Amino acid sequence: MPPTAIQPTKKNAVGVKVPRTMREQLLILLSRYREASIAVVAIVLVIYFQLGSDGGFLSPSFMSVVLRDTGRLGLIATAEVMLMITGEIDLSLSAIFSIAPYIMALLSVTYGVPLAVGAVIGVLIGILVGAINGIVTVRFKVPSLITTVGTLFFLQGIVVSIYNSQPIVAPVEQPFNAIFGQSLYQPTDALLSWHGVTAFTPFLWALLVVLVLALVLNRTTFGLHTIATGSNIIGAREIGVRTDRMKIYNFMIAGGCAAFAGIINTAQFTSADPQAGSPFLTLQAIAAAVIGGTSLLGGSGTVIGALIGAFVVASLNNGLVMIGAQATVSDIYLGAAIIAAMILSIQVDRLRTRRRV
Amino acid sequence: MNTQTIPPLAPDAPVVLEMTNISKSFGAVTALVDVSIRLRQGEVLALVGDNGAGKSTLIKILSGFHQPDTGTIVSQGKEVRFASPRDARAHGIETVYQDLALIGDLSVFHNMFLGREYHKRVLGLNLLDNRKMREQAQLYLDTLGISIPSVNSTVDLLSGGQRQCIAVARSIYSSPKILVLDEPLAALGVRESAHVLGLIQNLRQQRQVSVILIVHNYNQIFEVCDRINFLHSGEIALDASTADTSEEELIRIVKSGLGRKAIDAAAAQVRPGPA
Ligand SMILES: Nc1ncnc2c1ncn2[C@@H]1O[C@H](COP(=O)(O)OP(=O)(O)OP(=O)(O)O)[C@@H](O)[C@H]1O
Ligand SMILES: [Mg+2]
Repeated sequence: MPPTAIQPTKKNAVGVKVPRTMREQLLILLSRYREASIAVVAIVLVIYFQLGSDGGFLSPSFMSVVLRDTGRLGLIATAEVMLMITGEIDLSLSAIFSIAPYIMALLSVTYGVPLAVGAVIGVLIGILVGAINGIVTVRFKVPSLITTVGTLFFLQGIVVSIYNSQPIVAPVEQPFNAIFGQSLYQPTDALLSWHGVTAFTPFLWALLVVLVLALVLNRTTFGLHTIATGSNIIGAREIGVRTDRMKIYNFMIAGGCAAFAGIINTAQFTSADPQAGSPFLTLQAIAAAVIGGTSLLGGSGTVIGALIGAFVVASLNNGLVMIGAQATVSDIYLGAAIIAAMILSIQVDRLRTRRRV
Repeated sequence: MNTQTIPPLAPDAPVVLEMTNISKSFGAVTALVDVSIRLRQGEVLALVGDNGAGKSTLIKILSGFHQPDTGTIVSQGKEVRFASPRDARAHGIETVYQDLALIGDLSVFHNMFLGREYHKRVLGLNLLDNRKMREQAQLYLDTLGISIPSVNSTVDLLSGGQRQCIAVARSIYSSPKILVLDEPLAALGVRESAHVLGLIQNLRQQRQVSVILIVHNYNQIFEVCDRINFLHSGEIALDASTADTSEEELIRIVKSGLGRKAIDAAAAQVRPGPA
């Protein structure tokens, strides 16, 4: 029923500024297609390395290395994006990355538990650690930066004390290894052979997880409430969003992703190293998330951007070495890229128009 | 506004809400002491008081955001206990908070439907029905005569007044039994606040929805409210109907910070002399 007659006010009367300069228009374009802007960076980088390496960069064998690293980093970066959207962060993911496959391998060599079963247990452990991180953070109001540094040391301490820091040689069980982490592409492989395709499984799994989480984030109530929690936690709570639960669930997703990444890593190297994940891995993943267009302020983020960001980081790490730079040089580029991405992201936020959620 | 055309509330209108002896402290800060309010079917109740008097705290208890230290809430004859705003909303109590509770990073239509999203089944998955929400939001805002550039724009791009209109529209959308508005006119221009007051007047005319309205402007109170509760330092100092009270009297009472009984008593003491 229309209320007392009131003429609608003029459209566009207030609130929306019309962009004027080229620079503003460009930034608005970037804000609308965040993934696209990082994708352009990735393509430029590929062309640069491809030319610099006389065509070696895009060869299947080198790509299987870059994409393996992309998959590992991308899973963890995606995990961080989910948390960063809710306004939290998890620094313990590298320890989950180590402990989950370590337990899988340990169960296999001591009790003969099949790797597939051990993998499920490993992922459940990751989810459990995530739940603990989340509960401590929201119930006891400990900042997640601190909570997760705590669990980082705690888990790292446990995993190295199990076997006195010794790596465990994980058995090879087919098709488990082919499905979750095959050895790298061999020059003798054909691209469409079984081994040729399965050499890319680490990346393909990361891609699958990213696509699922992108769907969750953009098309489900869970995603909507995750964004609401990070954007305006008081407001979200006032309107009935269960913000504590949303945070805990996202910690659990993150823990599960990190465990899965660790299991893939172990399947590929057929060895569970208690120090497989160093805190540096988490930091690189956060870098990939930021480069991919997720801000630390909460309320927005893109998991697809995080995967492309992971590809950029993995390309820098491997490509620079390939074209003859020293291995350490890539960190210089990475550092500069993080700061540039952050500046750009803040500029873009300022001129943001609408988001395609 | 059609103030004169609205007949007074029927004396036998049923009580829809009774909050009794509500107390609430935040650590050392006592926000409310034994506050009781009562709302009848179709009534528009004004809640006034100084800054920090506890108005927002009281309505946040009603909305389930805070839990009272003591006291009871009886709604539609049943004692209720709201553990969260979800419970209160499910019970037909909608609130426009002073901070509006809008999510800046989400679009207008997502904000409109936050917490009661429309879904559709796609390949067995329960996905958001964005198209439906977009259309419904547009339709509803048009019906209310609220105009914004686009229901797709994120809320943080809207002006303060536009945001307030969205928050009010969201609260009315689900046809609540009880509507609570915490300073819904604060950022509105003259036209827009006349518009929102018109919406409230409209609800009052139909006597279906009961409204608790927190406002600081006394003109507006006398325009649309049936009764006034004056909250002073965490206690109800005055409960009067707008028909029996003049605006000057209300201003005098609020300025003095005392209840009407105290003022009448003081006036009686000095009555012998000329005023
Ligand atoms: N979450 C909280 N934690 C601690 N103290 C609080 C909290 N919320 C309110 N208070 C205190 O309770 C008292 C009442 O606050 P409240 O917001 O209810 O006042 P109000 O009547 O709505 O004021 P205003 O007109 O300024 O909106 C104030 O002293 C305030 O500082
Ligand atoms: Mg208030």
